[in-house]
Amino acid sequence: MKLTIDGKSVTAKEGLTVLQCAIDNDISIPHLCTHSQLPPFGACRLCIVEIDGVRGYPTSCTTPAAEAMVVRTDTEALQNLRRNILGLMMLEHPSACLVCGRRDLCEQFRPEAEKVGRTTGCHTCNNKEVCEVRSLSEELGFVELPVAPMYHGRPVERSEPFMDRDLNLCILCGRCVRICKHHQGRAVIDFVGRGSQTRIGQAFGNSLLDAGCQFCGACVDVCPTGSLADRYAKWYGRPEAVTQSTCIFCEQACALALGTKKGKLTTAEAVNENVPVCVLGRFAIPEFLNGTDRLSAPHLRVGQRLRQTPWEQALETGAGRLKQFVGDGFALVCDTTSTLEDRHVFRKFTAEVMKSKNYIEIEPDARGISRTSLPAGVKAALLTGNFVDVAALKELELLIVQDCYPTPVSERADLVLPAAVFAEVSGTMLDRSGQGRPLHKACEPPGQAKPEWWIICRLAQAIGTEGFEYESADAIAREMGIANVQLWIERQEAPPAATNFKLRRTYFRGHRIDQKVRGLQQLPVDEPCALEVTQEEHKGAFEILEKREIAPNVHEVIIAAPEVAKKALAGQFVIVMVDEKSERVPYTLCGWDAQKGTITLVVLEKGQSSRKLVLLNAGDKLAHVVGPLGVPLEVKQYGTVVLAAGCYGIGGIVPIAEAMKAAGNRVVVVTEARSHYLHYYKAKLQGLCDEFVETTIDGSVGVKGHAIDAVVQKLRAGEKMDCVIAIGCPFMMMVTAQETKPFGVKTLAALNPIMLDGTGMCGACRVTVGDQTKFACVDGPFFDAHLIDWDELRDRRAAYSAEEIHSLGRTESVVTGQGKGSPCTCSH
Amino acid sequence: MTSLQQAYSTAKVGWDKLQASDVPIFFVGAATCGRAAGATEVLHALRDRIERDKLDVQVVEVGCMGPCSFEPLVIVHKSGAPRVCYANVGPDKVVAILDRYVLGDDPCAEWALGTMPSGKLDGIEALSAHPMMRPQVRNILRNCGLIDPQNVYHYLAREGYRGFLKTLEIGPEKTLEEVKASGLRGRGGAGFPTWRKWQFCRSVPGPTKYLICNADEGDPGAFMNRSLIEGDPHAVLEGMLIAAFVLGASQGYIYCRAEYPLALQRLDVAIAQMRELGLLGDDIQGSGFSFDLSVKKGAGAFVCGEETALIASIEGRRGMPQPRPPFPAISGLFGKPTVIQNVETLGNLPLILRNGAKWYTQYGSETSKGTKTFALAGKITRTGLVEVPLGIKLKDIIYEIGGGVLGGKALKAVQTGGPSGGCIPAKKMDLPVDYEALTQAGSIMGSGGMIVLDEDTCMVDVARYFLSFTQAESCGKCGPCRVGTRAMLSILERIAAGEGQMTDLEKLQSIAQTVKDGSLCGLGQTAPNPVLTTLRYFRNEYEEHIKKHQCPAFVCSRMTSFDIDPHRCSGCGACARVCPVVAISGQKKRPHVIDQGICIRCGMCLSVCPPRYAAVYRRSGELTRYEQRKDEKRKSK
Repeated sequence: MKLTIDGKSVTAKEGLTVLQCAIDNDISIPHLCTHSQLPPFGACRLCIVEIDGVRGYPTSCTTPAAEAMVVRTDTEALQNLRRNILGLMMLEHPSACLVCGRRDLCEQFRPEAEKVGRTTGCHTCNNKEVCEVRSLSEELGFVELPVAPMYHGRPVERSEPFMDRDLNLCILCGRCVRICKHHQGRAVIDFVGRGSQTRIGQAFGNSLLDAGCQFCGACVDVCPTGSLADRYAKWYGRPEAVTQSTCIFCEQACALALGTKKGKLTTAEAVNENVPVCVLGRFAIPEFLNGTDRLSAPHLRVGQRLRQTPWEQALETGAGRLKQFVGDGFALVCDTTSTLEDRHVFRKFTAEVMKSKNYIEIEPDARGISRTSLPAGVKAALLTGNFVDVAALKELELLIVQDCYPTPVSERADLVLPAAVFAEVSGTMLDRSGQGRPLHKACEPPGQAKPEWWIICRLAQAIGTEGFEYESADAIAREMGIANVQLWIERQEAPPAATNFKLRRTYFRGHRIDQKVRGLQQLPVDEPCALEVTQEEHKGAFEILEKREIAPNVHEVIIAAPEVAKKALAGQFVIVMVDEKSERVPYTLCGWDAQKGTITLVVLEKGQSSRKLVLLNAGDKLAHVVGPLGVPLEVKQYGTVVLAAGCYGIGGIVPIAEAMKAAGNRVVVVTEARSHYLHYYKAKLQGLCDEFVETTIDGSVGVKGHAIDAVVQKLRAGEKMDCVIAIGCPFMMMVTAQETKPFGVKTLAALNPIMLDGTGMCGACRVTVGDQTKFACVDGPFFDAHLIDWDELRDRRAAYSAEEIHSLGRTESVVTGQGKGSPCTCSH
Repeated sequence: MTSLQQAYSTAKVGWDKLQASDVPIFFVGAATCGRAAGATEVLHALRDRIERDKLDVQVVEVGCMGPCSFEPLVIVHKSGAPRVCYANVGPDKVVAILDRYVLGDDPCAEWALGTMPSGKLDGIEALSAHPMMRPQVRNILRNCGLIDPQNVYHYLAREGYRGFLKTLEIGPEKTLEEVKASGLRGRGGAGFPTWRKWQFCRSVPGPTKYLICNADEGDPGAFMNRSLIEGDPHAVLEGMLIAAFVLGASQGYIYCRAEYPLALQRLDVAIAQMRELGLLGDDIQGSGFSFDLSVKKGAGAFVCGEETALIASIEGRRGMPQPRPPFPAISGLFGKPTVIQNVETLGNLPLILRNGAKWYTQYGSETSKGTKTFALAGKITRTGLVEVPLGIKLKDIIYEIGGGVLGGKALKAVQTGGPSGGCIPAKKMDLPVDYEALTQAGSIMGSGGMIVLDEDTCMVDVARYFLSFTQAESCGKCGPCRVGTRAMLSILERIAAGEGQMTDLEKLQSIAQTVKDGSLCGLGQTAPNPVLTTLRYFRNEYEEHIKKHQCPAFVCSRMTSFDIDPHRCSGCGACARVCPVVAISGQKKRPHVIDQGICIRCGMCLSVCPPRYAAVYRRSGELTRYEQRKDEKRKSK
């Protein structure tokens, strides 16, 4: 049929909606709640159009295209309406960063999002790089909120396996509900409640597990915001490369899109959005492959111990010993999780090099268990996985193990060779109907691990045999006559484990998957799981007396630390270790009571260690608190002192305001926050200063903009300021310094680099001030803000960002409010 | 199973006997409104007395007759006299009437509202001449208050199901023609021509079609549908048969809100009676038409009065509306063509089919034919369920039927259409009540709610009230409604608290427009109406709240304070005794004082201060409001 869109005549097939028509003809209409695999919903109201003869503004995603229809998609009225609709949506979604005047500067200075507990703006959101709401707001030109936004303050859910949910970011597009119904055939999650209390939830307040979630992860993949996140991959950001490959956890052979960042696998998603993959395919692979105890270097037994050895020596020694066992006294054991190419080489090696009939290839059972016993008379064995009992080893005179993870068997081997598996290799595997499916290498193996075929080929060559000069898996495939293998993308049915995780494989290559991917321990299968519950014992002397979240993501912690409280002075800080193994982290002293022997800290959850701290409760004990550290602020009569503070800094300036006032200064306090609901300590600060100004980036209360905007306003009005002190994130302090400079106002900033010892020995907190190297712990933390090298500070603070992201990804799901480890929830 | 013909004969005999009964009969109005006024106690007292003295007196429970402010209503039939309708009858009064009139000769004229249907008795005029009843044309409600709603024979005797039999006789096409000629428009609020909705549905091929009766009636203050179902359920059911026959529907659902337990009971009884008479099931009355009915209870959601949400609810899903197209008439319940009609629309059908379209069109205006029921409530002297020809002037309803504003206060506005409607200001009382005129004035007909507001009503507060309702009832699916109503409400609450800015008015207007244009369903699209009409007609009140921090009606408690005039206060202490927060102090016989820091502005002191002193007064901004002082020498009524 023919219809007109924006004056252009287009042809459309029967049964298409106006939106589909437009998309087919390269006419773009903004849309959010639509999804290619789901029937239209009509909730976001952004795809509205004008249609002649139809009242109002129908949604193009739900309106069937009709013959001779006349559609307009981009009139001024539509543009305005869409912008206003988005504006309303943004009242329930932390949107300050979208309207911030310094957005570009911030992007430039610090493109990576902060790894917070509660997201309060784009800058602290894990979805920043791919957020559909962000791109929509750019497209529609969103610049202002109609009224003050509302932050729901719902608990952040981080205790379910694999998925973090922050429903304060949810815009209720309904995609997650719909895809779950589509994939799982029932409403595990649904709209709950009414009016402004509407949210996504489970019936009767059940956990996801109890509600029947199968953890296929489809909801996470369709969420346009950072509300639903893959806990492991969350802070890695958008993958740099995506490679399509096949999952080898089982022979369902689902096609997966593997995402990597800096060569490391971070995410695995279904290629075919119409069919879910199981929890293993979606969530287990990166964690499995990135385990810190992966075998990554060859090891040779020297007496009682396994010593790390270079490949050449390992192969030489191995070859030398193998030569002594040519014949049926040798056995090679593998299973079908090795690629066809690998096994071709294994077979060839066993037959031609070792001249043995004992090539044993195991087909794993439904659980993935590959187990066998060695044939009688075997004296030398090469195992490519954890396939035999330790007991069987006592007959052997030579044991070579080629594997991905250490096991009790590999601990007894004479030679241990690290294998690259899965997404680290290319090759071919067979699916359940015997069809070949390709593996495409997506990421690098750990350390010196090598593809399995490579290891055996080199052994063969070291033994002196010919016919093993393959350059690549492709070369082997060619020899085998494997051609034309396609990814299984067009599958019609979901693999059984995708709709029932109890059916999943629990072993890979002889290793229990849930020992490497701990979230799986919360998903019971029929056998009792060998659970390792790590209980963190919080032995320590520093008891948390009170703890409460005073603003989203901002926690006030009162700790018993009498020695610190006795000596503390304005401007100083402490270093805290939550437990014996945690980082040493500096926190500004926001208050103390020498009489009661307590100190008050204001902590933002921004990474692994602050997270550990905020997950504790009153009554828990911190391992170490050292302080007071740093040079106290020089408190004297300056005249007019302006204290500019953001984030934790609002707490940090409390003692400074007090001290400066006591010293006879006129104290002006300017606090900044993204939005009105992020301000705190207002009454307290008002009581400590002569003038109190609050600013918000979104203008929801007080002056619109950063603290420096209010300060500059005053300076322009001719107000005299003798000293400006800024406490906040480096960006905030940098901008404050840059903009006070033209006015020639003395400005101090409290620097917060990484710290280790805090007493001037290690150099971790080194900063450049003017042309001098200073240490924030013993020379600072306050420095002349106009002289600081802010770029260097930023770079040094990010030094361990990758490690922290990796560590956050491996932290098992946290049960907020309990703080003493996560007990398994299965019935055993 | 009784044959229908047999039933008609039995019914006629029974009814004639009832009309000419030698035995006295008490007809007690015992619908929900009657019960709320105390009809249960009246029935109790009456029955006890009859039992005690073994009197030969009949008691029949009937539905709501209409004049709710006079409830409990009792109509007494005594042989040889016109029936008398008594008003505000309590348990003592009904026994007194029994003694004085039934057992004696005194018709208790001082308690009588009127005779029925006509005739004079001891100075009691006909009820139909009562100013409340005279302008009314009670067609749809013809049986309410007159028949026992649980006795199908009463319905049959009064031409019940004759409309349906006519339909069977003339066939679906001619019936459709008749309905078209009548000009009947949907009475649920939208006013969509009924015949056209049927035609869409008829044109869709397929054997399975559904008819749904929307008895969700969610508007606060609306009770038209409830009264009809409780007083004359068969009228609605007959309407369903007529509609289903024309549509070719095989199954009907009545979606009735769970908050109407009496109506649900009546429906169950009535449906069982239909089956008994062979009016439901296969091959009804040998016509080849098969139809059955099922009742589905609502679960407390206003949004389920919206068509697509209602359908979702019947299907067992969450009541969230869906964009249209597809329209329910094409693809509705379980994906089949479905027509949803309001209770009252269906109640009109038996009349149209029995009496003909020509008869029907004698009532009403050019574009809005027929009569409509309205639930008259608020600051009106005579509240009740009224039925008037469309096109009647609003002032006739308010001043004639309603008896003017309660307490003789000044009329400020009339709110129509519930939370989707708007306020018609006092200066527009000449407005004819029909679909077009109301829409032009910025309101809507709605389902029939009509709330009278007087000088003591704050229009900002009215807007705030309706918006808090729609915000709480929003299903949450689309942003404009879910968030927009909350944003508007937050602005209104700020204005009502004295924290408004003039820029708030533009913001309100702008957000209201976004909500209106962007919302998915009628709830959201009409939620801004109360705000928009109050802004249009009562902008001055908003400005007073903002610029002068005063509420001219002295309603907004954050801007109103209570004080005691020392020149008027006698020190009687009545106020101090009732103050819940002990904010009033003073010695006996000395002027008392209210501590503004403690006062919570509940208004108790104002309500107990004796009118002869009227010492408690209100302040709002620059305004003060004293109560009228009653001279103690004047005789009280």
